[in-house]
Amino acid sequence: MVVNPVAEEPPTASPSSGDGVAASGVWRRFGAVEALRGVDFTARYGEVTGLVGPNGAGKTTLLLVLATLLMPDAGTVRIAGHDPVTETRAARTRLGWVPDVFGVYDNLTAREYLNFAGAAYGLGSRAAARAEELLSLSRLRDYADRPVHVLSRGQKQRLGFVRSLVHEPRVLLLDEPAAGLDPYSRVELRDILRRLAAQGAAVVVSSHVLSDLEQLADRVVFVDRGVTVGERRIDDMARAPGPRMWRLRALNQSELVTALDLHNYPHADPTPGGVDVELVSDEAAAGLIAGLVRDGVHVVSCAPLTGSLEATYLELTGEQG
Amino acid sequence: MKGILTVARLELTVRIRAGRWRWLLAGWFVVLVVFTALLRVALSNATGLDGDRGTVMYGGLQLFLLGLALLVMPALTAQSINGDRERGTLGVLQVTELSAFDIAAGKLLAAWGTACIFLLVSAPLVAWSMVEGGVPVIRVVTVTFVVALLLGVICAISLGLSALLSRGTTSSVLSYLCVFGLTVGTLILFGLVTAATTQTRVVHFSPPGNNVPAGCCNSTENVERTDLTWWLLAPNPFVVLADAAPVTTQQPPTCHNVTTGASTSTYCTYPAQNGVDPLGDISRSVRSLRAPPALAVGPNLSPRRGGLVWPYGLGFDVLLGGFMLTVATRRLRTPRRKLARGVRLA
Repeated sequence: MVVNPVAEEPPTASPSSGDGVAASGVWRRFGAVEALRGVDFTARYGEVTGLVGPNGAGKTTLLLVLATLLMPDAGTVRIAGHDPVTETRAARTRLGWVPDVFGVYDNLTAREYLNFAGAAYGLGSRAAARAEELLSLSRLRDYADRPVHVLSRGQKQRLGFVRSLVHEPRVLLLDEPAAGLDPYSRVELRDILRRLAAQGAAVVVSSHVLSDLEQLADRVVFVDRGVTVGERRIDDMARAPGPRMWRLRALNQSELVTALDLHNYPHADPTPGGVDVELVSDEAAAGLIAGLVRDGVHVVSCAPLTGSLEATYLELTGEQG
Repeated sequence: MKGILTVARLELTVRIRAGRWRWLLAGWFVVLVVFTALLRVALSNATGLDGDRGTVMYGGLQLFLLGLALLVMPALTAQSINGDRERGTLGVLQVTELSAFDIAAGKLLAAWGTACIFLLVSAPLVAWSMVEGGVPVIRVVTVTFVVALLLGVICAISLGLSALLSRGTTSSVLSYLCVFGLTVGTLILFGLVTAATTQTRVVHFSPPGNNVPAGCCNSTENVERTDLTWWLLAPNPFVVLADAAPVTTQQPPTCHNVTTGASTSTYCTYPAQNGVDPLGDISRSVRSLRAPPALAVGPNLSPRRGGLVWPYGLGFDVLLGGFMLTVATRRLRTPRRKLARGVRLA
């Protein structure tokens, strides 16, 4: 794949005020381990920004720095224009954070938990009304007066997520939010996050589930070994040139194989899931489908085997030995 | 203040709903009832008890209650911060608008409130001993206040330790060691230091007559300088409790000055104690430690008793509690620069 070297450049060093999150040159060391070695990261208002990288790349450490819990050793960080170190409180009022692992107070009810979160953000008399809104948003209204420990893992996850929205933050940080969610809840989470971004929030999501991010994020920042290794816009990535595996399925598989052989398309051995073909571009795929239809092959589906995000991820993070 | 109350209310709600807490409270009450009833039966059989039975009952009950409370409090508080961290509820609390002090003070307030509930449960037994007579209201008010303050100090120490140490078991063990240090440790230290600083002094006396042989009339004696070491005992919660309790009834001592050479000391005769008073007895013995060593004078003459001990002890304990609250606050402050090994922030 041809890589545009300009896109490899980290985001601009000076954080602009239009960014919900602007971090540049962030270093953080734990004893002998350098978890962050000059990470650059920005997240714009109105967009969902994905944070992607292998285990131990520093994603959680970066999110802890952004969430005002860890002090960076070096570098500048702005959350909604505020420095989390010197203007901690101002940053916190504008910030929602969902850690990868979190507990809820087992003996509280869902409603009490949200009421408490509202009080902790100084909502005062508005806390109760806000709790009701969030109970509806998380579809936990039926469980509002049940103790939290009767909730399923996914329901607790949803409760923890809406807790982070209690003070209507402009910046939302989520660490692996989809972990432990069933497919329906994932789709729902995606819809809520898209809606929040549409309302103007800057949403940051770290995730390993690249297929989820592909449908959720506007932009993805790749982090590896404590540094930013690249960033892409999802729509750019989908159009990026380069050969990729596509999977074809037809009503009659032997018909399909015959047609591919006829037109000299190299392909893998057919499997019950379909036949894999390497194609150089979207245009090539469109051309192949048109050709197959002309030949009378009943094509059922033709889709890229690996997402463009996964391909980029492997390319950016996998090659370093 | 609003933030502190928010945290305290949450902590109390969570505590009260946890089942084990109710059982602990019930067990606590049963033990106190059994103790008081047994004490009452023992007193009705006792002979040579001139004073009011209530004085003994109340004193015994308060000392027993304090001892029991010192054992229970660390269990209730020693994991309040590192336990939250392990359960993953601390980080989401820290990113809110609550300050580190709100969280620390709120947790302390909840723990202290719990301690006060334990105290409140003993109210019927206190009333019982008051009915038996010899327990003035001022004594009950003062002692209750002092016990509450002491339990608050223990809560603050446990809280500070739970912020300092990442493992709940370690902070629990250390909290109990602190309680041990304050109670038994102060006694041991006082005993050892007093023994180590015992002085030998030479006493001259002049026998009547002029024919005094050389080397005559000197004798050596060992003098314990408790007037220099009494403060080691002061932080002991039992000493503070007993010494702070207002004395029931006491005739003033008759004092007069004795001049030995150039120095003049005051010696007093104390009237015989009317009946047994556990708190008063402890108080009298620790106050007498503050007096300078006695001369070999008449059996009823003893040096004027030293001053109060409890203000020093309680002052030290409250300062210690305040220090541990500061430690907890500092430990909860975010963003954090240093992170203890193996500690997960969220």
